[in-house]
Amino acid sequence: MNRRSAIKGILAVAGLGYASVIGVKYFIGQSNKDRRKLKAQAALIAELTNVIIPPTTTPGAKEALVHEFIISYMEDCSSMKEYNNFTNGLTELQENCVSNYNKYFENCTAVQKNEIVKDLDSDSGSTGIISKISNKLQGRSFYDILKSLTIEGYCTSEMGATQHLVYQLIPGKYNAITQLSKNQKSWATK
Amino acid sequence: MINQTPKNTFDAIVVGSGISGGWAAKELTEGGLKTLLLERGRNVQHIIDYTTALKSPWDFKNRGHLSEKELEERPVQSSHCDDTNKHFYVNDKEHPYTQVNPYKWIRGYQVGGRSLTWGRQCYRLSDLDFEANKKDGHGVDWPIRYNDLAKWYDYVEEYVGISGRAESLPQLPDGVFLPPIPMNAVELHLQEKIKAAYSDRVIINGRVANLTEAKNGRGPCQYRNLCSRGCPFSGYFSSNSSTLLDAQETGNLTLRADSIVKEVIYDETQKKAIGVVVIDAITKVETSYYAKIIFLNASAIATAAILLNSVSPSFPNGLGNSSLQVGHNLMDHVVNEGSYGTFDGLQDKYYEGRSPGTIYIPRFQNLDTKTKKTDFVRGYGIQGKGDRENWQSVDTVGFGASLKASLATPGKWEITLGGRGESLPNYDNKITLDPENVDQWGLPIIKVDFKYRENELAMLEDMTKASEEMLTKAGFKNVGSYRTYPAPGSAVHEMGTARMGHDPKTSVLNKNNQMHDVKNVFITDGSFMASSGCQNPSLTYMAITARACKYALELFKSDKL
Repeated sequence: MNRRSAIKGILAVAGLGYASVIGVKYFIGQSNKDRRKLKAQAALIAELTNVIIPPTTTPGAKEALVHEFIISYMEDCSSMKEYNNFTNGLTELQENCVSNYNKYFENCTAVQKNEIVKDLDSDSGSTGIISKISNKLQGRSFYDILKSLTIEGYCTSEMGATQHLVYQLIPGKYNAITQLSKNQKSWATK
Repeated sequence: MINQTPKNTFDAIVVGSGISGGWAAKELTEGGLKTLLLERGRNVQHIIDYTTALKSPWDFKNRGHLSEKELEERPVQSSHCDDTNKHFYVNDKEHPYTQVNPYKWIRGYQVGGRSLTWGRQCYRLSDLDFEANKKDGHGVDWPIRYNDLAKWYDYVEEYVGISGRAESLPQLPDGVFLPPIPMNAVELHLQEKIKAAYSDRVIINGRVANLTEAKNGRGPCQYRNLCSRGCPFSGYFSSNSSTLLDAQETGNLTLRADSIVKEVIYDETQKKAIGVVVIDAITKVETSYYAKIIFLNASAIATAAILLNSVSPSFPNGLGNSSLQVGHNLMDHVVNEGSYGTFDGLQDKYYEGRSPGTIYIPRFQNLDTKTKKTDFVRGYGIQGKGDRENWQSVDTVGFGASLKASLATPGKWEITLGGRGESLPNYDNKITLDPENVDQWGLPIIKVDFKYRENELAMLEDMTKASEEMLTKAGFKNVGSYRTYPAPGSAVHEMGTARMGHDPKTSVLNKNNQMHDVKNVFITDGSFMASSGCQNPSLTYMAITARACKYALELFKSDKL
């Protein structure tokens, strides 16, 4: 698959249309509030979340359906800026996958997926003043959005909250001071 | 034209079913009066209508976040609500008001009002507060002192159920308490360190209307800390869980929801108020109701608006407004966003259950000559809460299995402190009506014109500095503060718009919460406050409502109204 047609494929999947290849950012930046197109990226988002929070002795993000929350959040709640950052980030990610590995992220090996996320992760995490100003003006970056929504979506999912963390719907009592036991897990809610 | 029939005539009318209106309804119905309780919002039945109370985080599609559309409909309320409790907050688009300067008017239009979502902190005022106006000349002298209210504080506390501990502090009188909600390890640590480092201040258990023991078939608290969704265990006090049920039990209560009070009807020949005009919120049909006694408990801004909209030949500037003080002297506690710090020790300690309480540092400024501040008068208290970081605040380094493990590991202890300061009565802080602009019911839009001034701003600076200093002295790390200050109104303690006073020329109400000009109209929501204190005010509203009802009942029974 050559790069051009691969991108065409990705964009078609994303529902963005071939015409936008030249000016992806421009096109998405101009898009209205029709955000339903992200659902087509569910498999990609699910794979990404599963690299950030993989299955271990407890379920990973994909099994906890974190991608469904992320899509819902991006569609309903995010600012248009961050929605655009997110969709542009996905497109760019797939472009990089195709140019580096000649396949989509979903089809990469576990090692390749890890490399890709590692790259994204090492570029992020700046909390300096310039990054804060930039976030305010332009919204958080693609990866910052992805990572924070993955953490939130996982820890508030039924599997994450009840299997990886500890959750009590009705504690019934308050022991203000307890002795922390070995390997005691964190409470899911405050 | 008056069309009074047995069907639309009652002994008493109470406008508003929030925390003070609920008390008025209870006291008046238990005193034998046929009482009509009017609420502008929808009905909310205790437990039945707490639709989100038992939901878990994953039951909310967006995990509690409001959607863009919901945010757009709630430019004001959205700082105080989320997807789990938004049904107890108004849609700002449907209920517009004008902000001359930024002012958050947080509202809950439903039966129970904001008693469903209140912070539940209950502190008595003291004579330090009741004498403040007289001593420093701001506002007018309170016509009552602590002694006038002490037994009424006892009375409502005994009924409400307030957890707390007696401390013998002159600036914060003790009350009738259920066992306190205990402090956790880091809160106790801070308490000890503050005690060692300062002679002028202490940390006490917050006094909250959460039941640490069952009371009158309510509670106990289940330590879910989800109070603002309504409690299916009746674990905290609200009109819905308590006063309204008791009022209904008497058989004397008629509750009418979706009933917006347009104005109070004044009769020129009898020289008193004879009823109210109600607009049905849904059909928009107007109906008049009549009674010998009228209690206004619509909350400070709305009550003032009703008075200003009640124009008659005797009161061209609004009912009972010969003083021209109605709508003026609006106050709201000045609050900072808070200071924080983390603590490295106590790593072997944790807790079980979610406390709905706080810790509290009672006012420690301007108590006496030793604690005198040069840059502001009056003072502030500080509320706080400590816990251990969980996934919401723990450092999230990297990705993969190591990140995942860190999410499940209890993090550092952290504590946040937030000041709540007194705001001074100022004639220029006011609400007025804008007759050129009307809402969907044809009622004039309310204009809120409010600003914090020098004294409040100095206090704001001081509370932030003091909080940081205490955390640093107590060995906390990463100490800092959110320096963005919330807009006025954020404390949701608006008050003062129909103040009490000795002199009818400078105040609206007398010492019994009667209007100086119209003796059968009583106002016992926050409007009556002649000064704001720095304490959370609901307890005082409840106590003074019970007191005013007793007085009104005596007048009614001796036919003096």
